Amino acid sequence: MGRMTELPTKGGFSFDLCTRNDMLLKNGLQMPPFRKTGTTIVGLVFQDGVVLGADTRATEGPIVADKNCEKIHFMAPNIYCCGAGTAADTEAVTDMVSSQLQLHRYATGRESRVVTALTLLKSHLFSYQGHVSAALVLGGFDVTGPHLHTVYPHGSTDTLPFATMGSGSLAAMSVFESKYREGLTREEGIELVAEAICAGIFNDLGSGSNVDVCVITEGKTEYLRNYQLPNPRTYISSKGYTFVKGQTEVLSTKITSIQPKVEAVEGGDAMEE
Amino acid sequence: MGDSQYSFSLTTFSPSGKLVQIEHALQAVGSGQTSLGIKAANGVVVATEKKLPSILVDETSVQKIQLMTPNIGVVYSGMGPDSRVLVRKSRKQAQQYFRLYKEPIPITQLVRETAAVMQEFTQSGGVRPFGVSLLIAGYDDNGPQLYQVDPSGSYFSWKASAMGKNVSNAKTFLEKRYTEDMELEDAIHTAILTLKEGFEGQISGKNIEIGIIGADRKFRVLSSSEIDDYLAEVE
Repeated sequence: MGRMTELPTKGGFSFDLCTRNDMLLKNGLQMPPFRKTGTTIVGLVFQDGVVLGADTRATEGPIVADKNCEKIHFMAPNIYCCGAGTAADTEAVTDMVSSQLQLHRYATGRESRVVTALTLLKSHLFSYQGHVSAALVLGGFDVTGPHLHTVYPHGSTDTLPFATMGSGSLAAMSVFESKYREGLTREEGIELVAEAICAGIFNDLGSGSNVDVCVITEGKTEYLRNYQLPNPRTYISSKGYTFVKGQTEVLSTKITSIQPKVEAVEGGDAMEE
Repeated sequence: MGDSQYSFSLTTFSPSGKLVQIEHALQAVGSGQTSLGIKAANGVVVATEKKLPSILVDETSVQKIQLMTPNIGVVYSGMGPDSRVLVRKSRKQAQQYFRLYKEPIPITQLVRETAAVMQEFTQSGGVRPFGVSLLIAGYDDNGPQLYQVDPSGSYFSWKASAMGKNVSNAKTFLEKRYTEDMELEDAIHTAILTLKEGFEGQISGKNIEIGIIGADRKFRVLSSSEIDDYLAEVE
């Protein structure tokens, strides 16, 4: 009895296109710019849990693609993840792991743990050898307490009391390094996170617009979307604009008439059925 | 599975046009513990007997009514292990649907996909049909819904249904008691009374299981103390 169908393809990532891309770059091809999140993302551990923060600017090269995007992604009711890097990559990888965590919750009947999300993320990113450009700040509160981690595109992770990632990470880290201490209260934690994100918004071109904050404590998560709006639009004229005819200079005029191409003829034979 | 020397279906037609394996699967369902479901105007209730093989079994470790999504639950009659496989597959399908459409899966879609899996196992090589019938209960944008899926893969929407050992008595009882404008609380009482009809022994919160979903769209399994409270109301 011979083979009826071909063998199923072996699993794993195929790197063929990566070598092709490298060859094309060497031959002078201009890669189209990815929509990157530029970004300042931060997280810190305070006395009752973790606070995550992010700016809301998404860039496509030198252009701001989205002035108010959401960079704090849902992973589980008690776990959220900030994402920097290529927007599509961070969205896809957090959605995928969030889905896997939900299945795991049904199978175990338990609340998800931050280390589970961490391991799922890092194994996925490692298997793609850094080609999935997602740099994440993962934070949450589970049965073992509050946790905060950073995840790098190649799949390495750190466990930290305070963390920053993205192009604005240095500006934000300077704020944390000078003002962070253990045992902050909730208000102090939120203030410090907002301050760090603002440092990124104002000092880094890749970050801007508003501050999003997410506070995760035992049994309760608060997603404070647009916690601060330090960049309001101030230049819309409420009266509107009027343009008088003749205000625009006419450089040249060309008028082309559209000739009828089809002539309708009355009468003639009826169509044969 | 397609390559092996045994890739022919074990479920084949008899001369009279029946698929005997499916008939046998329905027998397996018919000798399973009674379960039932009732669709009320503002929710759905499902219930099942939970007779354990011995008093030594830790009843807190057994849960027959499972969640497939936050707003869809399922109960079975027949072979427990078979239902676990189906629930696992359905959960995954619900997640895949959400990943693709960013919308919680509508109940009709999930029922259809679960039924498709069950049908697959009546036609694929080297496998047998599932020995379970499922009652899928949920609340979505189309309101409260109750579906029964059989080992053949056929599914029906029911206002109230029963499966398992005591099916004919239970269905007769439900036919008498069911009203279109029943509220969820009435439905829970009716479900308990229906189970009580054919129950051998003393009914309590420890040997039946009840799952409900209301307008809040959150399916949940009642605790044994909550069931005991309802039993007291029904007495």
